[in-house]
Amino acid sequence: MSNIKIKFVNLSLQFNSLKPEIMPRVISALESGDYILGSEVKEFESAFAKYCDSKYALGVGNGTDALFLCMKALGISSGDEVITAPNSFTGTAGAIVAAGATPVFADVEEDYNINPSLIEKALTKKTKAIIPVHLAGRPANMAPIMEIARKHNLDIIEDAAQAVGAKYHSKKVGSFGIAGCFSLHPLKNLNCCGDGGAITTNNKELYEKLGYLRNHGLKTRDETIMWGYNSRLDSVQAAILNVRLKHLEKIKERINEVVSMYQEGLKGLKDAVKAPYDKEYEEPFYHNFIIETDMRDELQKYLLNKGIETKVHYPIPIHLQEQSLSLGFKEGDFPVAESQAKRILSLPLYPELANEQVNMIISAIKSFFRQ
Amino acid sequence: METKHNISHNYLPHQYEETAKPSINHNFLQQQFSDYKEIFKKMEKVVISGDFTLGRDVDLFEKEFAGTVGTEYAIGVGSGTDALFLSLKALDIGSGHEVITTPYTFFATIGAIAASGAVPVFVDIGEDLNIDPSLIENTITKKTKAILPVHWSGMPCNMEEIMAIANKHELHVVEDACHAIKAKLNNKSPGSFGDTGCFSLHPLKNLNIWGDGGVITTNSKELHDRLILLRNHGLTGRNECAVWGYNSRLDSVQAVIAMHLLNKLERITESRIRNAEFFDERLSKIPQIKIPKRAPNTKHVFHIYAIRAENRDELQKFLIENGIDAKIHYPIPMHLQPAAKSFGYKEGDFPVCEEVCNSVISLPVHEFITKEQQEYVVKKIKGFYEK
Repeated sequence: MSNIKIKFVNLSLQFNSLKPEIMPRVISALESGDYILGSEVKEFESAFAKYCDSKYALGVGNGTDALFLCMKALGISSGDEVITAPNSFTGTAGAIVAAGATPVFADVEEDYNINPSLIEKALTKKTKAIIPVHLAGRPANMAPIMEIARKHNLDIIEDAAQAVGAKYHSKKVGSFGIAGCFSLHPLKNLNCCGDGGAITTNNKELYEKLGYLRNHGLKTRDETIMWGYNSRLDSVQAAILNVRLKHLEKIKERINEVVSMYQEGLKGLKDAVKAPYDKEYEEPFYHNFIIETDMRDELQKYLLNKGIETKVHYPIPIHLQEQSLSLGFKEGDFPVAESQAKRILSLPLYPELANEQVNMIISAIKSFFRQ
Repeated sequence: METKHNISHNYLPHQYEETAKPSINHNFLQQQFSDYKEIFKKMEKVVISGDFTLGRDVDLFEKEFAGTVGTEYAIGVGSGTDALFLSLKALDIGSGHEVITTPYTFFATIGAIAASGAVPVFVDIGEDLNIDPSLIENTITKKTKAILPVHWSGMPCNMEEIMAIANKHELHVVEDACHAIKAKLNNKSPGSFGDTGCFSLHPLKNLNIWGDGGVITTNSKELHDRLILLRNHGLTGRNECAVWGYNSRLDSVQAVIAMHLLNKLERITESRIRNAEFFDERLSKIPQIKIPKRAPNTKHVFHIYAIRAENRDELQKFLIENGIDAKIHYPIPMHLQPAAKSFGYKEGDFPVCEEVCNSVISLPVHEFITKEQQEYVVKKIKGFYEK
């Protein structure tokens, strides 16, 4: 087993660069004794809503909970169907199941996002919502999706867990549907030091209902008006996020630089390797840089032997997982997602990645295909 | 001229500050903070390793915690509420089922049952403020699947009788031990009797972290194996999902904090007990105050120190005016909450609980309250009734 020279993620580098700003803020949050839904959370919610071009934001426990709470607040439950993409992280479908509803899938396009032209054929009388996923930080094609939702009177809950800061026609993701759901997990572009999530919305009624649902339904300290859940962003994590949010645009700039290097560097291999290229309507904030190749497993091994760590997001689509047996899907139902799952590979992508390291990765990929 | 007091339930501001300032506040967190630097050093190791989700530190803490409670397994989850919810899910309890519990508890107990899809069925409490076992059998129906006793405020329930009833009727037992870490019933810990025990690591609990967190304890390998899937999206490996799950995990950084405090928990618990005993001794002499029944074979850990008082509302107002953070746990019982309308209960259904809710008042007994402050509290209560 070779020495990893380029890790897939490097959170310690990230922490060290922001440590002088984060620590005093965390300490002051702790000294306040205000650990649950305190002033740090309020400040984060206000700043995050603004960042996401939305009126309101709520800090919750994690991205999966964000989706779950939205569905609960919208009254989606047993007997209902929700359409989403089969190539997402399992949490997307897990949240639908947790809400009591049934996940229904529509295949994806070459940008790994739901194909709007395949949504209508997945609709039934039971369909209540569409959850488009902005996978890996690239926005789904929202305009046609919203048109379908409007035509059939469906809610749109955006799964923007991997896409904070991405734009579609110059507007931030999370601001299109009735709600946007974000993950603030350590591996995301905007991240805290544990689980965390956020919901954005422009709908005041939904915002208020979510405020109850995430906090035991409490109207006052002594009264609950609806049995709710416990899903709250910790004050300490909000303190960390308040610092990180300030640096997010700078991070996005650097990520875009690295992405451009990859896109340029891999152009010459376009017959062997498919790399992502931005469509005219999108301004992504890449969470994963996903390439595709027939020789995926061999390439991954080869890169690992050269000390370069890569990952696959995700090798088994949701509809083919053991958990989905009862949903009755089979291989062949979503040919694009299934084919992509065998060919995709995520390259290291984080702001602290040095240019030399990016070039090293590109060279290694090139040398693999020269063999 | 009397010293101006601020005696709060919230000890959080004191928990870590380097020069502890006295406060008659329920929130002790600021006072608790005197050794935060030590904790930060430990947390930094986690941050540098990038091991944020269910890492080595969670494993270590779970082992220690299981040892403390005396069970085979412990599973770190997102909150006490989630611990209850996941326990019910792991036992396949949900829609169409009934779960017997107490109306005298924090909202989360009932919320977790409702979240599972099951219906809570209430049973009145006794003089110890816990579920009255002698009333349980009358509420059992064909739909009953479990008893969910709450070791309220850290006072252990009468588990011998409850387990006997559960075994007789083949019911599961999920213990709400969220208030009761380190409590003992005949030298056995709450959380080690039933199918699972549920604990909270919320900032105001005896064992507290810097945010939400919880633990499930169990002796069942089957339940343990199910719960570690349920808390983590059903993932059996990085890429395989065997079952539909949830995201409910104890953060690694919080596990570090919990571990740090677990080592101090004995001392923290003993100081609460001493402080409670002081109040018991002095306040029992006031005829208008009723101390809850203390059982000889139990170790109550006083997450909440609650007494019953005549003219409770006026007493609370008076104490607050005099700088004492007297709280009410809880003015409205669960069966009379607006959210409980559909359960169909009404006033008079649980007379002991309702009377307790009308008369109960809580005083701070955390480790940062001083003898002088406690004397002051007693003096003020005496003075209120002597008027």
